[in-house]
Amino acid sequence: MTEQLIDTDLRSRVVTSMADLLPRILKREQVDAAEETRLFDDLGLSSTTTLELLLELEEALEIQIDVEEIDQDDLDTVGSLASFVAGHALGDE
Amino acid sequence: MTALTAVACYLPEYRVPIAELAERLSLRERDIQLFQRFFGLSQVCRDPDGTLTDLLLAATANLSELAGQERRIRYLVYARGSAATVPYPLNPVHEVAAKFGLQHASAFTVTNHACANGLLAIDLAGRLLRADGDDDGLALILTGEKTFTRDAELVPETSIFSEAAAACLVSAKEEADRVLAYASSMKGEFDAWATSREEAFARYSQAYPECLAEVLLAALAQAGLSWDDITLVLPHNVNTVSWRRLAKRLGLPAGKVLLDNVATSGHAFAADPFINYRTAVDTGRLARGDKYLMAAAGLGAVFSAMVFEH
Repeated sequence: MTEQLIDTDLRSRVVTSMADLLPRILKREQVDAAEETRLFDDLGLSSTTTLELLLELEEALEIQIDVEEIDQDDLDTVGSLASFVAGHALGDE
Repeated sequence: MTALTAVACYLPEYRVPIAELAERLSLRERDIQLFQRFFGLSQVCRDPDGTLTDLLLAATANLSELAGQERRIRYLVYARGSAATVPYPLNPVHEVAAKFGLQHASAFTVTNHACANGLLAIDLAGRLLRADGDDDGLALILTGEKTFTRDAELVPETSIFSEAAAACLVSAKEEADRVLAYASSMKGEFDAWATSREEAFARYSQAYPECLAEVLLAALAQAGLSWDDITLVLPHNVNTVSWRRLAKRLGLPAGKVLLDNVATSGHAFAADPFINYRTAVDTGRLARGDKYLMAAAGLGAVFSAMVFEH
């Protein structure tokens, strides 16, 4: 499916961008953000800081994310959030 | 039986874009963006020259159904979210009573359910009227507050309060809008606002969706209904994102939650479900016989839901 191929490219950019943005959002010098890193339990993000991360991703990647459908499961790990973003990016991709 | 027989509200015309509040509330530009982009907040009502008494008087004046029924009012109940709203010995409730010829009514305030107090007041008024055994009696419930302090203006990372008010009549005899169920859950473990605010608030935020979902389902079950039977949910206007997530969690179509007023008038403490009721009725979204659910959560914390038949 073509859509998935486009998503894969965006998804990997989202993961890279998250690793760049998380230290600033979490106010820490170093943050280990692998695919399976859990946003709430491992990193200490909250619902609101996660939304802040989405805003930062929108700016960094010049996309707009449709958050209407976001679910608690999407906020589980770096990987699950990256998949959500890649699947819900609005724009001219 | 308890019935909500009339509802009126008062929203001051003056609106403040939330971006203009950033400096006073020590909010970053990013916080304002979050409120606007994800929380659905845009502007809030302010009545800079008006007092709390003015707000409550205006809502009561809009309750045309009160005219001529003043002698029937047995209870005047002010349901407020904050523990203190005016300096001692001012008492806006008694001022409303005097202005509308209600000095004969027992006037009192309920506060312990915070922004869920409006629903508590309906239940309480119904119980008191039934206990009196006086079919003719009515209760007048008032809600709405001023945003005097930063804590009364902002729920961090959640919402911005608005100055608006509602007034409604409750009867133990009349048929409409009949209360079908009331569920309320008090979670005192989150009452650490003054001592360990950030920690308590983080726990509250995490527990919030589950606690609110539980109470909505409890009210629904008590009424013997399913979501298919519910025409509308009239929520507290805390923000849109939390309601959309909750609707998804409950399998409730998001369009059934009336969120129109979040952007236009913000979170008016305990008055929100009543303000939303007026919007629902005035825009023709409730027909005779429709079942609807009012829902609210209060810091401290209390979660409440009430099911009605229109």
